[in-house]
Amino acid sequence: MNKIMGRARILLILILVLALGTSFFVGEYFIKSGDWILFAGSPHIYNAANIGCGTITDRDGMLLLDMTDGRTYAENVQLRSAIIHWLGDRQGNISAPALSHYAEAIAGFDKINGLYAYGGTGGTVTTTFSAKVQMAALEAMGDYTGTVAVYNYKTGELICAVSTPNFDPDNVPEIAGVPEFEGVYLNRFTQSTYTPGSIFKIVTAAAALETIPDILDRTYTCSGLLEFGEDRVTCERAHGTLTFKEAFARSCNCAFARIANQVGGDVLQRYAQQFKITEAVEFDGIKTAAGSLSAAGEMPVNVAWSGIGQHEDLVNPCRYLAFLGAIANDGVEITPHFVDKITVGGKITYQASDESAGRIMSSHTAQILQEFLRNNVENYYGDDSFPGLKVCAKSGTAEVGGDKKPNAMFTGFVADENLPLAFIVAVEDGGYGRQVCTPIIAKILEACKAELLE
Amino acid sequence: MDSWFASIAQMDRTFVYVFQGILRYFVPALAAFILLRTVRPLLTFRREPEIWAWLCLTNGKMLPLTHWENMVGRSKRSDVVIDVPTISRTHAVLTRYDDGSWTIADAGSKSGVFVNGEKIDICALEPEDIITIGGIPMKLKPRSREQEITLSQLRTKAANPVVSVMNTLLLTALQMLICFSYLMTAKVEVAGSIFAGFAGIVVCQWLLLGFYLFIRKPSFELETIVFFLCTLGMAAISAVKPGETVKQLIAMVMGLGLFLSLGWILRDLERVKKLRYYAAAAGILLLIITLVFGKEYHGAKNWLIIGSLSIQPSELSKVCFVFIGAATMDQIVNKKNLILFIGYTLAICACLAVMNDFGTALIFFVAFLLIAYLRSGSVGTIALACTSLGFAGVIALKIAPHALRRFTSWRHIWEDPLNTGYQQTRSLMCIASGGLLGLGAGNGFMKNVFAGDSDVVFATLSEEWGLLICLMMVACIIVFGLFSVRTAAMGRSSFYTIGSCTAAGILLVQTMFNVLGTLDVLPLTGVTLPFVSNGGSSMICAWGLMAFVKAADTRQDASFAVRQSQEGRPEDE
Repeated sequence: MNKIMGRARILLILILVLALGTSFFVGEYFIKSGDWILFAGSPHIYNAANIGCGTITDRDGMLLLDMTDGRTYAENVQLRSAIIHWLGDRQGNISAPALSHYAEAIAGFDKINGLYAYGGTGGTVTTTFSAKVQMAALEAMGDYTGTVAVYNYKTGELICAVSTPNFDPDNVPEIAGVPEFEGVYLNRFTQSTYTPGSIFKIVTAAAALETIPDILDRTYTCSGLLEFGEDRVTCERAHGTLTFKEAFARSCNCAFARIANQVGGDVLQRYAQQFKITEAVEFDGIKTAAGSLSAAGEMPVNVAWSGIGQHEDLVNPCRYLAFLGAIANDGVEITPHFVDKITVGGKITYQASDESAGRIMSSHTAQILQEFLRNNVENYYGDDSFPGLKVCAKSGTAEVGGDKKPNAMFTGFVADENLPLAFIVAVEDGGYGRQVCTPIIAKILEACKAELLE
Repeated sequence: MDSWFASIAQMDRTFVYVFQGILRYFVPALAAFILLRTVRPLLTFRREPEIWAWLCLTNGKMLPLTHWENMVGRSKRSDVVIDVPTISRTHAVLTRYDDGSWTIADAGSKSGVFVNGEKIDICALEPEDIITIGGIPMKLKPRSREQEITLSQLRTKAANPVVSVMNTLLLTALQMLICFSYLMTAKVEVAGSIFAGFAGIVVCQWLLLGFYLFIRKPSFELETIVFFLCTLGMAAISAVKPGETVKQLIAMVMGLGLFLSLGWILRDLERVKKLRYYAAAAGILLLIITLVFGKEYHGAKNWLIIGSLSIQPSELSKVCFVFIGAATMDQIVNKKNLILFIGYTLAICACLAVMNDFGTALIFFVAFLLIAYLRSGSVGTIALACTSLGFAGVIALKIAPHALRRFTSWRHIWEDPLNTGYQQTRSLMCIASGGLLGLGAGNGFMKNVFAGDSDVVFATLSEEWGLLICLMMVACIIVFGLFSVRTAAMGRSSFYTIGSCTAAGILLVQTMFNVLGTLDVLPLTGVTLPFVSNGGSSMICAWGLMAFVKAADTRQDASFAVRQSQEGRPEDE
């Protein structure tokens, strides 16, 4: 019996294997469970391709989307359409990278509690969007194709960002082959690039202010036409002799063709890079399209066209909005974001910070540009479009060729400590920039004022 | 009753959420408390030997015989060590029988064994017979009735009835909480079924405890742990197939029946010896019947359908196999016996190979290895057997490609998460979702995964009740193993020790394949988790195996399957 008693210890081998195997798993659990939980198809997080847990609200707590059980969108049809490019549709045609980006925070995973949240799983995402402003923006855009966005240049909060065309995810129309729905799946604010036209003169002006010491004292004479060998740059009419500030306000192509060449193609390119115009913006798991500029090493005429926002210039609306925000913020750019915070069962799993991309221009230059942009509205565009607001802006009308009308562009900001908003409007096939865009942005700023101040 | 279920199901959600929020901490805590209370005595009891007789030497020395089978020899590992050069290392075996009589047998000594001066091979001993081994005369003096009573009073009682009742009360509380939280989230149509399942377990455990207290064997630790496992199994079924709880309950009652009857059989070693041939016949017959009449299901032809009942006879064969494999000392000494056993094992493996039941064959193989080692003590034999299994395995994989697929996806489950790795990737994601404390009853996703209540039941429970509970579940099975090793020291006969260790070994191996398979530490083999997986045959088999563990529990007044002192003589029956 004594021998058998000794032999019984062989069972310890089996016990050891079981214990070690289980411990091995526990180790794996603590190292890898964060990856497992986010793996595609994780049942409590994803529903088909989209994230399938949690709710999303606007800045006031109004429900935008409940992602559990097959997605419930906002009650209002306008709101559903206006916000769709940020939340995605059920079919996954419009992807919502931000929601997947925050899947872990929305799920609220931790190794102790798993995905448990009081009363179920999934958290609440509070966005910086205002449902009211978003709807106002959609209404203001009307039938135009394009994008409009407003953000707080001190905190980075996007108040609204609408891309048109869009559709109601609860009532998906026939899209394939319908011309009005061309590019409907695209979030134009983040994913498109536009020929900027005259709004690019802000970049050229900033580069000139930084590199030409006596630029403010220089004058430019416009005869309506500037020749570069066989090529020419034209204005709609002869502006006569203008100061730099006047040339900017009247958007004189001839003057800016000269200024661009005085700055020089290489330097203009370098400043565009410094202002990050050609860089993508990255926020909330989204990487925007990147703009482009080819001024370096180009012939004078191309440098001229580049400096006035034509040639091969392309800007991304989100990036350009941030650029305007930086001017308003004395040269320091605050990256936009739309996810404010995520809470799971009372616990905050994500909180946005006022992420700064850093200083992109001197505060001196920024302040002169602020003055220039203010001058545009005050003395040229008219303050009466924006009652009670100190708006600084620059319009643009970008020729895109073909039989299309120009892209109407309008960008600027409100110079007000209490309402620090920068904005951009881009309307494709729109026509004259100021004419098309001013009513749009006026309505939106009014809504913003109502939402944020009252 | 129905309106009561309806009112539970329609309870205010705030109450439900708060209840679940509290329960996720309380259930693991209570389970840990119950297990600590039950496991501690199983692993820390004093190993007090039972004394059955004394060998009296002429110099007045009395050597106690603490087993029914005692090896006498010079070797330090003998049960009775007489370190005299004339005595062989293993000289003789003294065996006690159920009627209290003793025999002595020569265990291959050089100088032989003499009884009353006559050289013998085997001889029944009469009182006053003089045994001479290695030239040393001695007498065997069996304990008297008075000594027996005194000795048993000196031994520590295994358990206190109050403690057993207390543990069962705590377990009942746990069961009610788990049941209640399923009733709150389940559909009203299945509420009755869920309630019946849990209530059935509660009734069974109290009846069994009542019976134990009545026969004054109050040790209920092993049973408390088993009922805890059954409760978890019922929870998994409530989550996955709430309509099948009663079916599982019936299986549990049948298992209990087997446990009690097998335990009763095991009380009497003579009876066991007689029954072994029937067990052998039954074990192989079950498999042959399955081969002839069985149904193929998921690649293995191991199901027998009788009316609405579907049973897996190979599970019951495991119990028979332990019965046959365990052997008394005199059988161990006899080589012919081992050869017969090997032949028997081969026959079983052949049946399983034809059935294509890879997982069960593996378990039989491990059981065989355990028995072979416990009987022979030869590491060489085991090595040889393992090597041959390796060859057999390679050939099997060539013949049965579905088994090979399991191996190719092993540790690569994330590369094919929707096909070969589906069950395990869902398992890992759901285990992570549940965290250490679980999402609460009915909140899991694993119910949608194939075999969520059997092959991957670990993940189902982990998701709803937390990883901690599941780790405790594995610990329970480990405790059965450790307990078997501990009781081996005070085994009466090698039959009980081998039986108990093999039974615990089978439980361990099944747990290993099931749990580690689910977790992708090992390939998924589709083996059931004892007491937990949904499946009647597996449940009955697990209870049958527990009878062997119980039969080796020779602590004083611990086990109904062990005959003891006051009641202990055949003439009492």
